[in-house]
Amino acid sequence: MRRVWAAVPVLVLAMGCGSPASEVVEGGPAPTGVAPGVTLYFLDDQGDLRPQLRDTGRLGTIPEAMSLLLAGPGGSDLRTGIESNGPQRMTVTVREDVIELMAPLSADEVSPAGIDQIVCTALAAHVQSGGSPDTGVRVGLTLPTPESDGIRTCPVEH
Amino acid sequence: MRKPRWPRPRGLRARLLAAFVLVTVLGAAASAWASANAASAALVSSHQQRITDTVAAQVEAAAPHLTYPPDQEALDRLDQAVGGEALVTFGDLASAGAFDTGLVTGEIREAVRHGDEVVAQRITRDDRSWLLVGTPVVTTALDGTRSPSGIEVYALRDLADVEREVDGLTLAAFTTATAALPLSALLALLAARGVLRPVRDLRDTAGRLASGDLDARSEPQGADELAELTVAVNEMAASLQDSMAMKERMRADARRFVADVSHELRTPLSTLAAVVEVLESSTEGVHGDARESAQMAISETHRLIRLVEDLMEVSRFDAGTARLHVEEVDVADTVRACLRLRGWADRVELEAPERVVLRLDRRRLDLIVANLVGNALRHGAPPVRVSVHPLPGGVRVTVTDAGPGLGEEVLPHVFDRFYKADRSRTRTPGSGLGLGLARENARLHGGDVTAADTGSGARFDLVLPEQEEER
Repeated sequence: MRRVWAAVPVLVLAMGCGSPASEVVEGGPAPTGVAPGVTLYFLDDQGDLRPQLRDTGRLGTIPEAMSLLLAGPGGSDLRTGIESNGPQRMTVTVREDVIELMAPLSADEVSPAGIDQIVCTALAAHVQSGGSPDTGVRVGLTLPTPESDGIRTCPVEH
Repeated sequence: MRKPRWPRPRGLRARLLAAFVLVTVLGAAASAWASANAASAALVSSHQQRITDTVAAQVEAAAPHLTYPPDQEALDRLDQAVGGEALVTFGDLASAGAFDTGLVTGEIREAVRHGDEVVAQRITRDDRSWLLVGTPVVTTALDGTRSPSGIEVYALRDLADVEREVDGLTLAAFTTATAALPLSALLALLAARGVLRPVRDLRDTAGRLASGDLDARSEPQGADELAELTVAVNEMAASLQDSMAMKERMRADARRFVADVSHELRTPLSTLAAVVEVLESSTEGVHGDARESAQMAISETHRLIRLVEDLMEVSRFDAGTARLHVEEVDVADTVRACLRLRGWADRVELEAPERVVLRLDRRRLDLIVANLVGNALRHGAPPVRVSVHPLPGGVRVTVTDAGPGLGEEVLPHVFDRFYKADRSRTRTPGSGLGLGLARENARLHGGDVTAADTGSGARFDLVLPEQEEER
């Protein structure tokens, strides 16, 4: 009987000592988004998509990438499927699983390969800043055609 | 036996109360503690997750605008973007305004350097709880592969708020456990009352039985063990009552038998006494053995008569029918007459004042003195002394002799019926009832006879108080 009573304070002590564990706990994937430059997609002589690292020193945002893309390939030997003398800004809305681009271009000013350039460049910037690679892209043109309004993905396999 | 360190509760009520309260409070405390603990853990873990997510989101929002590889200015910008107490490192570079790098534990640094996860660890600084969040910043290739960029971000976040909430939960748990205390005490008292009432009833019943009330019973309540105990006690009392009644009946029968026998013997003995007297007067001319036999028959007859008379007296005492006949008595005179009538006046030294007048039963006083003196003359040795001392409200009569006295083993049995101090001396002139009768007579007066050994003989003290007016 005496032994039973002696166990009581031990029990109480054991209950009172719930000291919080201070071990290292993991809390999700690490943030990403740093890069030495932004990747733009242009066309080579055969009309295939080619990634070009533009050495801006930082990744930047999708609108910035779009502005650089619209500005053209510069002095390189690559071509672009987008009329380079058009307006150089684009409205970008990033939703749950789709990026909506409002391009101030008509269907005449941009070839189908030029639309792929826009899609691939936007997706590259999105993925590099931590977005999901499965995100789709909808490109809105000033004079939309039925085939231009769908959700697209980049045809280039990485 | 070892002495208990603190006073243990003795009563059933106290023990029940202590056990009940202890068990209830322990139970309440345990459950309150467990739920508070679980709630605290959930609270802390969700709070930590929120902090970690916020830091990760802040870093991710700022990362695309950072030049890579970062210079000092870029690190400072990221530091500001994370806000609060933060530390951003890249190789040997560290952001300005960073907290002491010594706070970053080796564990978390290891996890950040070789992992691909945001990690957190709780640390204590200045006696307060802080959450240290650490994360590498990774670069993602076009194909989605992630590789470390070399930038590490650490942030310190205060956990005081959540600690306060946890403290609140603990306090609530403690309060709950305390609130259970009066309730459990009340329950314990109720339970104790239910158990203790039958126990107390039984105790009272047992007490009444012990003090002679054999009709005492307790009412069994319910059908528990206590009720069974009550029934058992009642049965015990009933069987005790039966056996007592039987014993009482047997004793009454025995007493009545003695009374009847002595009464029946008396009539023929009276006739025999008359015959013996005639015989005595006619032994004048007889000589030798015949005369001796006749003398023996005479003395034995007298002894038989005295024995029967004593027996009758004893049975009157046993039956409780003995009554005092109180009158004004001169004790000295009565003692003197007693000695003279029995022919002991010249063998006994009497020491008595002239007159000691009290209200007593003269016949019984005479009987007592005769028994005491007769006993002294028979068993003691001369000189036999009788002294009468008046006492306030009574009288003491002392009879001493110079005989062998009363031994240790004799003294307690001197007043027993038919007790013989010397077993071999079976035939003595006394009836064996004399001293007993003397004591009964004294006690009937409210007095007593006591025996003592003086060292040179025996002493008997008779003390008689004066009697009230005749009732």
